[in-house]
Amino acid sequence: MPKQAVLNSDIFIVVPAYNESVVIRDILRPLVASGYSVVAVDDGSRDNTWGQLKGLGIHRMRHPFNLGQGAALQTGVSYALQQSAQFILHFDADGQHDPEDIPGLLAPLLAGRADVVLGSRFLRKEDWQVVPPTRRLLLKMAIFVNWMLAGLWLSDAHNGARALSRRAAQLIILKENGFAHATEILQQIRSLGLRYQECPTRIRYTEYSRLKGQRAWSAFDIFVDLVIRRILR
Amino acid sequence: MTPIQFLLILFSVLIVLLYFQRLRSRLLDRLVFFLLAVIAVVMVGRPDWANAAAHFLGVGRGADLVTYLGISGLAFLWLGLYTRQREMDVCLTELARRMAILQAEPPKKKRGRGK
Repeated sequence: MPKQAVLNSDIFIVVPAYNESVVIRDILRPLVASGYSVVAVDDGSRDNTWGQLKGLGIHRMRHPFNLGQGAALQTGVSYALQQSAQFILHFDADGQHDPEDIPGLLAPLLAGRADVVLGSRFLRKEDWQVVPPTRRLLLKMAIFVNWMLAGLWLSDAHNGARALSRRAAQLIILKENGFAHATEILQQIRSLGLRYQECPTRIRYTEYSRLKGQRAWSAFDIFVDLVIRRILR
Repeated sequence: MTPIQFLLILFSVLIVLLYFQRLRSRLLDRLVFFLLAVIAVVMVGRPDWANAAAHFLGVGRGADLVTYLGISGLAFLWLGLYTRQREMDVCLTELARRMAILQAEPPKKKRGRGK
């Protein structure tokens, strides 16, 4: 790995947003303030998310209709690669991630130790203690499902905070438009033989993120998506 | 001919006419469709033939045979439609993505703000 200075503006943070007009500005401001390039993808929101993305000093883009988080991520990543991003981060738009975790997510990439870094809320006691018990149980099951379908045993599942090297971002192509992309990424990491690492991240369970976040029911939908995809490939 | 036989045959003929008139599909599709319609008309018109065919295949009644074949056919149809639906989703996603990338708005040049 050639050692060269990486500008923060070469680091692109992709934030897929669907109906997040209430919080989106507050989520994006600290990211912009840190000097990162921010790409917000409005995934066909029906509220004023698009308008709220204006004047923030970010790249804003919009799907003409709602396609799903996986599709929005892929759109943002494709665009970031065109803008010659060196490193790409995935970041949820509902405020559950902590911008202070970003340097930690990037560190293994900058050191050339990994191609993909995956955030995990189960590596530090203070992080997993705030996870509601039912959510904890559901996530443990998801970890098992991910292991069955993707072959990677991780400490967390469906954590939206990830960091990718340019090469990994070019190689990983998300076809799963919905939330099943979280497992699809793992499948591709494995089949492409990319080096990955987990990194402790904090999840902020606010009233808002809990309302907005994936519901327990959606776990079943995701599972069906994944299984059908396996069969009909 | 009983009234139900009359209705079913009428229905079959109407569907064939509609199909031929509205959907300009390939010759093979038309042939298959026409053949299916002929079978349907025959089974409605001569239930004893349907019964004979059922017995031959080890099914008790002609009506049961029709049900089984019908369900299998529907499953096929569903799978075909589902596959096509997914293919269309892929196209639609690709289209939306290209639009989004073409119309992306980069940040305005910095005016003393930033790092």
